[in-house]
Amino acid sequence: MDKLAKQLKTDAALIDVQVSDELDRRISASLQGVTPEKTEAPVVRQRPAAFWWASSLTGIAAALAVIVLINSDRQPAEIAVVHVADTSPVPEIKTPTINWRTESAMLTQPLQRELEDLQSDLKKAEEKVKRDIGL
Amino acid sequence: MTNELQLINAAKAGSADAFADLVKHYRTRLLRFLLTRCASYADAEDALQDTMIAAYRYLHSYDPRWRFSTWLYRIAIRNAQKHRSENVVELGDLSDEESDPLLHCIAASETENLWVSARRVLNDDVFAATWLRYAEDMSIKDISKALDRSDSWTKVNLLRARKTLDTEMNRRNNGSEAYG
Repeated sequence: MDKLAKQLKTDAALIDVQVSDELDRRISASLQGVTPEKTEAPVVRQRPAAFWWASSLTGIAAALAVIVLINSDRQPAEIAVVHVADTSPVPEIKTPTINWRTESAMLTQPLQRELEDLQSDLKKAEEKVKRDIGL
Repeated sequence: MTNELQLINAAKAGSADAFADLVKHYRTRLLRFLLTRCASYADAEDALQDTMIAAYRYLHSYDPRWRFSTWLYRIAIRNAQKHRSENVVELGDLSDEESDPLLHCIAASETENLWVSARRVLNDDVFAATWLRYAEDMSIKDISKALDRSDSWTKVNLLRARKTLDTEMNRRNNGSEAYG
């Protein structure tokens, strides 16, 4: 204990007080006339057994209702049955016939040879056209 | 301490005698403290009586986690404040020995009692904190609880009070040496 704390302790003890007999009697008399307040303990009400049965059954019923509702939502929607006989017949598409005026090539040689002959004919025809127009 | 708990339980059950036994050790200490905070000896006695009645009536609200003395001092501090606000007396102005109950209860001495100095230089709450710490040996937590203050407030103000009182003590000692 340091010097200050020691001095404060000593000086506090130097304050001379006494609870007088008169004050003692006054306090005792006052206390006799006082009733201490009491905290009310929380009242725990016992529920009857029927309550628990009823609440359990209600819970089960609610769970079942939920299951039924969920499952009923999952059922596929009804597919409309279409009778073939009721449908109108698809109209027949008539494709126009085209006269291509084609001539079938007479292949007398192997393909490579035919190609060379055709190219030669094409070249001769080209030269003939140039001569005709005077180029 | 077990005995104290037994007395508390008996008093809670409505035994005024058990309560009287319970507070027997605290009455003088409380009166000494109240004397430093009241304007007259009669006020201090009234505050003590009110404290006892309130403590008995509201004993059910006492939390056994705290020291019983802490709870009693908390009630006493409130009652002292109530008595002071009714009489409106500034304790710092009570320098006359005839009217100051504290001076009346201190034997004549060459040096001023440090608590008289403390009451002059410290404000009410800091004085109370200092009293609870050094006259009652209360812990910081108990003081904070009794004064309804934070622990940090108590620590800081006790430190400041120490510095102030240290200066007062040195001044007092120097003064007595100069006169001696």
